[in-house]
Amino acid sequence: MAKPLFRRTAVAALTTALVAALAACGTSSSDDDPASGGGGDTPDSDAPVTISINDLPPTEEPERRQSMLDKIERFEEANPHITIEATEYRWAADTFPAMLAGGTEPTVTALPFTEVQGLAARGQAAEISEQLEGAGFLEDLNPGLMEVVTAPDGGIYGVPYAAYTAGLIYNRALFEQAGLDPDDPPKTWDDIRAAARTIQEKTGVPGLISMTTENVGGWTLTAMSAAFGGLMEEVDGETATASFDSEPTKQALEFLRALRWEDDTMGANFLINWEDSRNEFGAGRAGMMIAGADAYTDLVETRGLPPEAFGVAPLPQDDDAVGALSGGSVDLISARATPEQIDAALTWIQFNRFAKYYDEQTALDNVDGAAKDGRPVGTIELPIVSQELYDQYLGWIEELINVPRENAEYYLTTIQEIPLVSEPPVKGQELYAALDPVVQAVLTREDADIDALLAEAEDNVNALIQAG
Amino acid sequence: MVVIDKDVERAARPVPPARRRRRRTPVTWVRGGGLSSLVFLLPLIVLFALFSWWPVLKSLVLSFQQTNFIGPAEWVGWNNFERVLADPLLGTAAWNTTWFTILAVVIGYPVPVIAAVFIAELRKARGFAAGLAYIPTIIPPVVSVLLWKTFYRPDESGVFNTILGWVGLGPYPWLQSPGAAMPSMVVQACWAGFGAATIIYLASLMSIQSELYEAAEVDGASIWRRIWHVTLPQMRGIMLIMLLLQLIGTFQVFTEPFIMTNGGPENRTVTILMLIYRYAFLASDYGKATALSLMLALALCLLSGIYLWATRKWSTT
Repeated sequence: MAKPLFRRTAVAALTTALVAALAACGTSSSDDDPASGGGGDTPDSDAPVTISINDLPPTEEPERRQSMLDKIERFEEANPHITIEATEYRWAADTFPAMLAGGTEPTVTALPFTEVQGLAARGQAAEISEQLEGAGFLEDLNPGLMEVVTAPDGGIYGVPYAAYTAGLIYNRALFEQAGLDPDDPPKTWDDIRAAARTIQEKTGVPGLISMTTENVGGWTLTAMSAAFGGLMEEVDGETATASFDSEPTKQALEFLRALRWEDDTMGANFLINWEDSRNEFGAGRAGMMIAGADAYTDLVETRGLPPEAFGVAPLPQDDDAVGALSGGSVDLISARATPEQIDAALTWIQFNRFAKYYDEQTALDNVDGAAKDGRPVGTIELPIVSQELYDQYLGWIEELINVPRENAEYYLTTIQEIPLVSEPPVKGQELYAALDPVVQAVLTREDADIDALLAEAEDNVNALIQAG
Repeated sequence: MVVIDKDVERAARPVPPARRRRRRTPVTWVRGGGLSSLVFLLPLIVLFALFSWWPVLKSLVLSFQQTNFIGPAEWVGWNNFERVLADPLLGTAAWNTTWFTILAVVIGYPVPVIAAVFIAELRKARGFAAGLAYIPTIIPPVVSVLLWKTFYRPDESGVFNTILGWVGLGPYPWLQSPGAAMPSMVVQACWAGFGAATIIYLASLMSIQSELYEAAEVDGASIWRRIWHVTLPQMRGIMLIMLLLQLIGTFQVFTEPFIMTNGGPENRTVTILMLIYRYAFLASDYGKATALSLMLALALCLLSGIYLWATRKWSTT
C-alpha cells in the first residue's frame, strides 16, 4: 500500500518541480537590476560596464548582422571596459511596456520621434542633458531636431540619429502615365489637387490617399495643418493647451473635403491605417500620399514598389506656414540605467551613429553590410549633422549608394530652407486619436460639420490634458 | 397513472446497517490518498496561479495605482476610475458594445439553433452537413476577419459589391458607412461563431429521446409542432447557457473592430475592449486600462447574475 502511494507522490512532486523550474525560466533575476536610475553621483569612467542595445539585424540579413557584430567588436576593442549585449528586439508600442514591466528593456532602444515625449513624461527614459554636454557631439546635432527630445521642463531625453519630414510621396510611374512630369512635383496645394484629378482621370487610380486610423489620421492632419500655418498645441512653460480648432486645420480639412466630395479623387476606402496606405501605394494603387519622406525603404523593400517609381516632395508651404512636421528615430536610454551605463551608452551612440560622419573607413564599414545584402544605401533623409559633414559622408559612400537620389532632388534641395516643427509634446498620441474621427467624418460624410467636429475634439483633448 | 409519494417510497426502503463513522484526521486524509491528489493537482494549481489568478490579482491592484513600471507604483485611490468615467468616449464605446451585442443576439443567436434543427432532421449526410457548418470555426479569427475585410471592400473590387454589381446594385460602402459598419461586422462575427454553436445544439438534439418524437408522431403532431413542443423545450437548458455565453463573449468583442475598422468611422465601432487596448498600448496608461477592465468584469458579473436569476424558473436544471 505504502509503495504505490509513495510512487504516485514522487511522480507528482517531480512534475511540480519541473513546472516550477519551467516557470522560473521565464523570470529573470532582479538582484542585479539597478532599480533606480541615476543612483550614484560621479560615474567611474573605467569600471567595467555592460549595456544592452536593440535592432541587431536578424539572421535573415547575414551581412548586415555580421557587419553590426563586427562593429560591436571594434567598439569593445576600443573601449575595453564596455561590454555590449545586442538583441534583435525591434521597438513596438505594444511590446515595449511589457519589457519595461519586466525590467528587460535594452539600455539603449531605438524608437520613433513620436514616442519620446510620452516616455519622458512618464519617467520611462533617462534624462541625459548633463552627460550629453560632455559627450562632445551635441554641437554637431541639428538644433531643430533637439527640440524633439527636449521635454517642456527643458530636460533632454534621447539622441536623434535619423530624421525626415512629413512629405508628399508620389508614384513617378503613375505621374508619367498620366502625362505629368515626375521631375516637377506639385508645389502648391492646388497643384496637388490638379495632379490628383489628372491621375484619377488618366489612370483610374485614386489620385491621393490619406491615412485615417490608428492615430496616423491625426498625424497626417498635424503635418498638413503645419503647412497651412497651424500648431496643434500651444505650450506655455510646462502647461499645454490643444489649439487645433483653428483656421489652418480647417483649411487642411477643407482641402480633403474638396478632393473627396467635389473631385472624388481619393478612392473608396477611408479607413486606412499606416500599413494599408503603404500596401496600396506599394502596389501602385495610389498616385500620392502624405507620409514620412523616409518611406523609400519600406515601400521598395517590403511592398514591392519599383525604386524608380518612388518620388518625394516637401508638403507645399502656405504663406503662413510654420514649417514641416519632423519625424525620425531616437536612441533612448533606459530610466534604469546607472550613470556609468549612460556614459557607456552615449559612447556607443557616438560610435554607432555619428562616427561615420567623421571617418571615411567607418562610413564605408557602416554601409558595407547593407550594400552586400542588397538593402538601400543613401536613402532620402534630413541631415542630423551639419550639411557640410553630411555631404562629406555622402561623398565617401558614393560608390555604394543604390537609391536613386536624383529622383528626390526637389525635396533634398528645398527641405533645408523649411523650419522643422515638432510633434505635439503633451498627450500627443491622445491628440492624434481624437483627430482620427474628425478626418474620417470629413471623408465619409458629405455634410460633416468641420467647425463642430474640431471644437468637440479640442474640448475632449483639453479635458484629457487637464486630467493628467 | 400511479403516483408514488417520495417519502413513502423512501420509508419503504430497507434501512442499511448503521455504519461506524470514521473520524477524519490528517493521517486518514493522507492514507486516503489526499496528499497524492494534492500533489497531482499542484502543477495545475501552480500554472493557474501563475498565469491566471496572479495576473487577475495584479490588475486589480494596478487599477488603483499609477505606475510607469520603473519606480514604485503610486496609490491613487479611485482616480483611475474617475478618469475612465470622465472619458467622453466611454459612453460611445459602451453603447457601441451594447449595440453589437443586441445585433449579435438578434442576427446570430437563432441561426445555429435553426441550422442544428435542420441538420438533425436530415436522414443522410448529417455528418457532412455538420462538418460544413463547422468550417468557419476552423479558420483562425484574424484570418477570417481579414478575409471579410476584403469581401467588404468599398469599391467594385469587393466580393459583395461585385456580386451586387451583377444585378445592378451598389457599390456600397459597408464598413466605411457610419450606419452600416456595425451590422456588417456583426454578420461576420455571426458567420465565424455559428459553427461551434451549431455543433453544441446538434449534440443536445441528438440526446433527446426518440420516444418523445415517436409519441408526438403517434398523436399526429406535424414537424413544426414536434419542434415547438418537443425539441425546443428539451433544448431549453443548453439554449439559455449558450445565450449567456454569447452575451459575455460579445460584450468582449475586440478582434473584429480592431482589424476591420479600428473603431471608425467616427468612433462608431469603438468597443469597450478597444478602449482598454487604446488606454494600455497607445496612451501607456495601465491604471486606466485595468480600471476599465475591472468595470467591464463587474458589469458582466452583474449581467450574469441578473440573467441567471431571471431565467432560473425556465431552466431545466
